[in-house]
Amino acid sequence: MIEVANLTKRFPTEVAVSDVSFSVQQGEIVGFLGPNGAGKTTAMRVLTGFLPPTTGTARIAGYDVVTRSLEARASLGYLPETAALYSEMRVHEYLAYRARLEGVGGAEVKRRVGEAIESCLLAEVAHRKVENLSKGFRQRTALAGALVHRPPVLILDEPTVGLDPMQIIKIREMIRSLGRERAVLLSTHILPEVDAVCDRVLIIDRGRIVAEGTAAELRSRLAGSPIVRASFAGRVDAREPLGSLPGVIAISEESADDETRVRLECATDADPREEIFRTAVARGWTLRELAREKLSLEDVFIRLTRHEDVRPESESLPPSEGIAE
Amino acid sequence: MRKFLAVVGREWRAYFFSPLAYVILAAFLVMNGMIFAAIVAFLNTPGAPKGQALPFLFTNTYFWIFNLFVVPIITMRLFAEERKTGTLETLLTSPVSETTVVLGKFAAALGFFLTLWSPTLSYVLILRSQTPIDLGPVAAGYLAIALIGAYFLSIGTFASILTKNQIVAAILAFAMLIPVFSAGLLESLSNEPGKRDTLGYFNLWDHMEEFSRGVVDTRRIVYYLSATAFFLFMTTVMLSAKKETP
Repeated sequence: MIEVANLTKRFPTEVAVSDVSFSVQQGEIVGFLGPNGAGKTTAMRVLTGFLPPTTGTARIAGYDVVTRSLEARASLGYLPETAALYSEMRVHEYLAYRARLEGVGGAEVKRRVGEAIESCLLAEVAHRKVENLSKGFRQRTALAGALVHRPPVLILDEPTVGLDPMQIIKIREMIRSLGRERAVLLSTHILPEVDAVCDRVLIIDRGRIVAEGTAAELRSRLAGSPIVRASFAGRVDAREPLGSLPGVIAISEESADDETRVRLECATDADPREEIFRTAVARGWTLRELAREKLSLEDVFIRLTRHEDVRPESESLPPSEGIAE
Repeated sequence: MRKFLAVVGREWRAYFFSPLAYVILAAFLVMNGMIFAAIVAFLNTPGAPKGQALPFLFTNTYFWIFNLFVVPIITMRLFAEERKTGTLETLLTSPVSETTVVLGKFAAALGFFLTLWSPTLSYVLILRSQTPIDLGPVAAGYLAIALIGAYFLSIGTFASILTKNQIVAAILAFAMLIPVFSAGLLESLSNEPGKRDTLGYFNLWDHMEEFSRGVVDTRRIVYYLSATAFFLFMTTVMLSAKKETP
C-alpha cells in the first residue's frame, strides 16, 4: 500500500532523506524508528504530499504522490507530529469538517463521525471544544480526524508523544486494531513502542535506513558476540583458566580485595556458563554471580545510530535523550 | 464543491468565534451610523438637492480609511494562523487542491466583508420611505463595494500567506493597499494627458464617485476582477511554494 523507491529529499542546507526505499503492505504496522532529526518527519511529509521529493518516487495505494497527488491524499490518513486542531471547534464539528474535506457528504458525514468517535473512544468529549481538551484527547481527536474517511493507509507521526502511560496504552491498542485491515506507518523514538505495536521496524539515521526487520531479527542480527559476566569472592586469578575455555574469544578481569569480576566475550552461539561453574568448583572459587547478557532493542538502536560500540544491557546506560520513554 | 464549502464554512465560523469580528462589526456600524446621521442632517437642510445625498455613503473619506484598515484585519488570519498552529499541514494533506483552499478562504473573507455592509441596506430603506431615491446609483454603489472589497481582500489574502505572524500579515496587507489606493490619486498632480489617463485608470476614489452616480464602467470592472484574480493566483502559487519550505 505504501511503496517508496530511492526517495531523496534535499533542503538547501542539508539532505534530510537520502535514497530511502521500503514498502508497507496491507495489514502491516511498520515502525519508523530514529533519533530526533533523523528524517522521519520529512519522509512522512513527502509521503503525504506536503513536501515534494527531490528525486525518487513514493506511491500511496498505487498513486504517485506527485503526479496523482489528490488520489494519493484521498487514500491516506495522516496524523502530523503537531496534531494541530482548530481550537474553536467542538470535537464532532471538527470530525465532520474533516469528513467533508475528504469529500464525504450528506447523511454519511454523521455516520462516519459517529464511527470515528466510537473507535477513538471520544464519546465523552464529543461536544466539548478542542481548546478545553487534555493533550490525550486532542491526540485522539487528531487521530480520529485521520481515520474519519476510512483510508486504507495511515501515516502517524509520533502518535503517542506527550501522553500519559494509560493513554499511551489506549492509543497503542487502537493502532494495533486499526492495523489489522490497513497499512500503517508510524514514527517514534520510543523503543518499547516498536516492540508493543509494530510488525516490522525501519531504523533511520541521518536520512538513511540503516536497518530493517522485525524487532527480534534486528536483535539477533546485531547482537554481535554474546557477553558473559562472572564474579568471584576474594582475589582469584581467573584470566588463565577461564580464558582458555572453548568458545571464549577474549577476557577482561578486574579484581579488588574482596571480589574479582571477569567479562568474557564469546563466539556466537557459545555459552560457557556451565564450564565456568565447573572450573570455579574445581578450583575452589566462590561464585557470586554468573550471567549472560543480551542486547536490548535499545542497544541495537544505539549501536546503529551512535556509530560506536554498544554497551551491554546490565551496565547502566546513562539515560540518553530521546531514547528512554 | 463539497470540499470548497467545507473550507468556506470553517473560515466563516472562525470569524464569528473570535471577538475581533464583533469589534469590527460594531466599529463599522458606529461609523456608518454617523455618516447616515450626516446624510439625514443634509436632507433636512432646506433646499438640499435630494437625489445627491445617498452617494455620500460610498464617497466619504471614512469609507476609504475604514476599508484600508479593516481589510487587513479581516484577511490577516486566513493563512498566517494556520501556518502558525500547523493546521495547514492537515489541510494540505487532505485531498483538496490549493486553488480550492485559496478560493474557499477568500470567499469566506468576502462573505464577512459583505456582511459588514449588509446593515447599511436598512439606511436605503429608511431614506426611501421618506424621500424619493433612485435605486440605480445605489445598486451601482454596492456593486463597487463588492468589487473593490474583493480586490482589497485578495491583496490581504496574499499578504497572509507570506508570514506566520498575523500582525505582520496585517501590516503587509496595509503596506500593499496604500500604494494600490493612492497611486490613482497622483492623477491630480500630473499635467500630461497620457499620464493622467493611465493614473486615472487606477484612481479608485474617482471610480467610486462614478459608481455612486450610477455610472458602471466596464473598464473598472475588468480592472478589479483581473487584479483580484492575479492576487488569488499569486496566493495559490505561494501556497504551492510553501510546500517546499514548511
